[in-house]
Amino acid sequence: MVRVSTPVRWLLRTVAVGYVFLLVAWPVSLVAVQTFEDGFSNFVGIFSDENTVAALQLTLMVALWAVVINLIFGVTISILLVRYEFPGKRALSALIDIPLSVSPVVVGLALLLVYSGRTGWFGPSIESAGWQVIYDSPGMIMATCFVALPLIIREVVPVLTEIGDDQEQAARSLGASGRQTFLRITLPSIKWAVIYGVVLSLARSLGEFGAVKVVSGNVTGRTQTATLIVEAKYQNFEQTTAYSVAFLLAFVSIACLVVVAFLRPQHEI
Amino acid sequence: MSIDVKNVTKKFGDFVALDDVSVSLPKGQLTALLGPSGGGKSTLLRIIAGLDNADSGSVNIEGTDATRLPPQKRNVGFVFQHYAVFKHMTVAKNVAFGLEIRKRPKSEVERRVKELLELVHLSQFAHRLPSQLSGGQRQRMALARALAVEPSVLLLDEPFGALDAKVRKELRDWLRRLHDDVHVTTVFVTHDQEEALEVADEIVVINNGRVEQVGSPDQLYDEPANDFVMSFLGEVTHLSGISLRPHDIELESAPRLAGGVEGTISRMLRIGFEVRLTVLTVDGEEVSVVVSRTHARSLGIAEGSTVWLTPAAGATVIPRMAAVG
Amino acid sequence: MTSALLGPPADIAGEASTGRPPRRRRTAGPRNTLTPGAGLGLGLAMLWFSLLVLIPLTAIIVTAGEGGWSSYVDVLASDQTWAAVKLTVTQALIVTVVNVVVGTTIAWVLVRDRFWGKSVLDVIIDVPFALPTIVAGLVLLSLYGPQSPLGLEWANTERAVMLALAFVTLPFIVRTVQPVLEELDHDVEEAAASLGATRGTIVRRIILPSLAPAIAAGAALSFARAISEYGSLVLLSGNLPFRTEVVSVRVLSFIENGNTQSAAALASVMLAVALFVIVALDIVQRRVANRG
Repeated sequence: MVRVSTPVRWLLRTVAVGYVFLLVAWPVSLVAVQTFEDGFSNFVGIFSDENTVAALQLTLMVALWAVVINLIFGVTISILLVRYEFPGKRALSALIDIPLSVSPVVVGLALLLVYSGRTGWFGPSIESAGWQVIYDSPGMIMATCFVALPLIIREVVPVLTEIGDDQEQAARSLGASGRQTFLRITLPSIKWAVIYGVVLSLARSLGEFGAVKVVSGNVTGRTQTATLIVEAKYQNFEQTTAYSVAFLLAFVSIACLVVVAFLRPQHEI
Repeated sequence: MSIDVKNVTKKFGDFVALDDVSVSLPKGQLTALLGPSGGGKSTLLRIIAGLDNADSGSVNIEGTDATRLPPQKRNVGFVFQHYAVFKHMTVAKNVAFGLEIRKRPKSEVERRVKELLELVHLSQFAHRLPSQLSGGQRQRMALARALAVEPSVLLLDEPFGALDAKVRKELRDWLRRLHDDVHVTTVFVTHDQEEALEVADEIVVINNGRVEQVGSPDQLYDEPANDFVMSFLGEVTHLSGISLRPHDIELESAPRLAGGVEGTISRMLRIGFEVRLTVLTVDGEEVSVVVSRTHARSLGIAEGSTVWLTPAAGATVIPRMAAVG
Repeated sequence: MTSALLGPPADIAGEASTGRPPRRRRTAGPRNTLTPGAGLGLGLAMLWFSLLVLIPLTAIIVTAGEGGWSSYVDVLASDQTWAAVKLTVTQALIVTVVNVVVGTTIAWVLVRDRFWGKSVLDVIIDVPFALPTIVAGLVLLSLYGPQSPLGLEWANTERAVMLALAFVTLPFIVRTVQPVLEELDHDVEEAAASLGATRGTIVRRIILPSLAPAIAAGAALSFARAISEYGSLVLLSGNLPFRTEVVSVRVLSFIENGNTQSAAALASVMLAVALFVIVALDIVQRRVANRG
């Protein structure tokens, strides 16, 4: 292995640590400082603001729905892609990654064009059936699903590939049905990958901003999520509230990261 | 007959893995499917188990047509080359799996698991995870797991292929003894002729998707149907138009026997008790000959010596085919 | 940590799909091994995928084309839009180059160096990915905004755009390069050293070429993310037309003005870039796989 000389090692180390400190660590810690500048009162205060509480509840509801939908879809697609052969498989596996590189604003626009109650392709007929998608929670859930779509799949597919299908075949030769094989063999083997994917999806879903902004209509108290309220409060010069909600979101997402960091190494397959 | 395979053909894309294969495997015996890798023997085993489906042909297990049955309905035990252990379950849970699937009463499951772990000498490891076992132990656990459901046939796909030589030899003896105790119809795939000759009651030689020969180890060794079977079961050399084994050649230092072929020893290699000679005959053939060390010494031969070669009386010989060898 | 997530697309469709030895790989051409149950699952999954992703994205292309070629060109050729495109692409390229250098350095430090606090650094790398983008903007404002403890007033400038893009794209190259560097065969480096190569030569001739595909993949993802960024810029850049307005903001203002066709036209360009990146990644991936 190449041994770098001491000065070079220190140079590289300083560049790496310095860059990450200035770009990430210091700014993030400043948010915490600003939130708790005047003690806990500002932070606790956000829970007495009706609109903020509503936004937090809405965020949680949307994120949970999106995670559940992506969980079912993600595990199904992963198994299909790894364990079966079918025409168009390669195209599908490439398309699955699209949401990772599409702008959230474009995601919102795309959903708007199809599901808008006035002008969308399907929107008017869905609306006449009594459903509203855009400017309501279904649209927000869809937008969140879209942006977090590949996360679980990208965790589960490599693990499924890695473990192979020997164990599943053994289970079938021992008399297990498809359902039994899935529940007793496949699911326990991919459990940690699924949990990891779910935590990541949750972090991503709680924090989605652009796509939700386009499809939600951003109605205070009704379709305003936590991220949207950060923007609104900041622009209304209620900076302490903005920082407090931002801190809460940052705290939750970083907690997700830490949980994942602890989960992973012990259960690596 | 316990397993009847009739006219089975299987293709993977353009590759013909099995070409109109028919075999009947008798009840209660230990049969080896022997052949080079890629020859189709594993595919045949997987088709018997229902893990792969034949493109055409039929599979009959214990009198029932199993061709269209899914693996879980065939009541076969299958042991995989890489063990296919359930990594997240303890050894006991692995063995109990098939019984739990069949919803057997708890007491029966416990009793059966205990018996089987004793049978495979893993009782003290019952509550360990498979990752804490050695390769040989994992394979014994996989065997117990397959036997737990009292399968009508036990199928083993290169069961000892991933193990090192010493463990492989131990497990081989152990499988033979186990079979003598349990008497379940057993089929195992191997590319190791020594393994097949030593363990099996009957051997099916498969090559290029076809059955080359079926018979007992003695039959195969003494009466090989063709050059391929002969060369696959042991070393083969050629002497004046026939194929025979190097140790079945009589070597003399003077032309005493009629029809002896004259040649010169071009190479001499001593390995343990045997001496391997390469003899260049006057006809321009390179013939391999194996003699015992004592015999070589008594003849007083060395590299460059002139010798005379004749097929030994009672040697297995077959006419040499033009295309082979 | 999130390497699987940020890395190039997992090779899901390739022959390695079953993880079994050669037997299965002989399968030539598309085959269908779906059982009825799996077929139903695929059908339902595809229905949802179409409703959620395929049809909406198609709607963008169709809407963009509705006004014909001339109106399409008009949208893209307008001064304000053109300025936004120029700004976005320039800043995205600058940030990608920075990431190539710094990201590779960070990956190197994480794999080859040992110091107190390294595992913290490793976790912090993922923070930009997990942090909500709007919060990311706010976070950067606290150090580089009006009340900056450093005395920097970068808010509402081009620098703010660069900063935001650098923040959100930080993990990409680090997380694609890191696992490759970890698995790099030390024997090869030792072999090169035994053949008389200096450290510089080993880095240049042995290590960097092995990392190149990962760096390229990370750079592509980083660029794609940068040109599509929105949330972190909202509070930080001020969205000043001709100065700090990026493409996503431009699309949003078209939407807010009810001008969906112009929004779709601009969005279709962004989609094309995203698609190009995915295809390029797929090709890089396959080339690396073939290299063995």
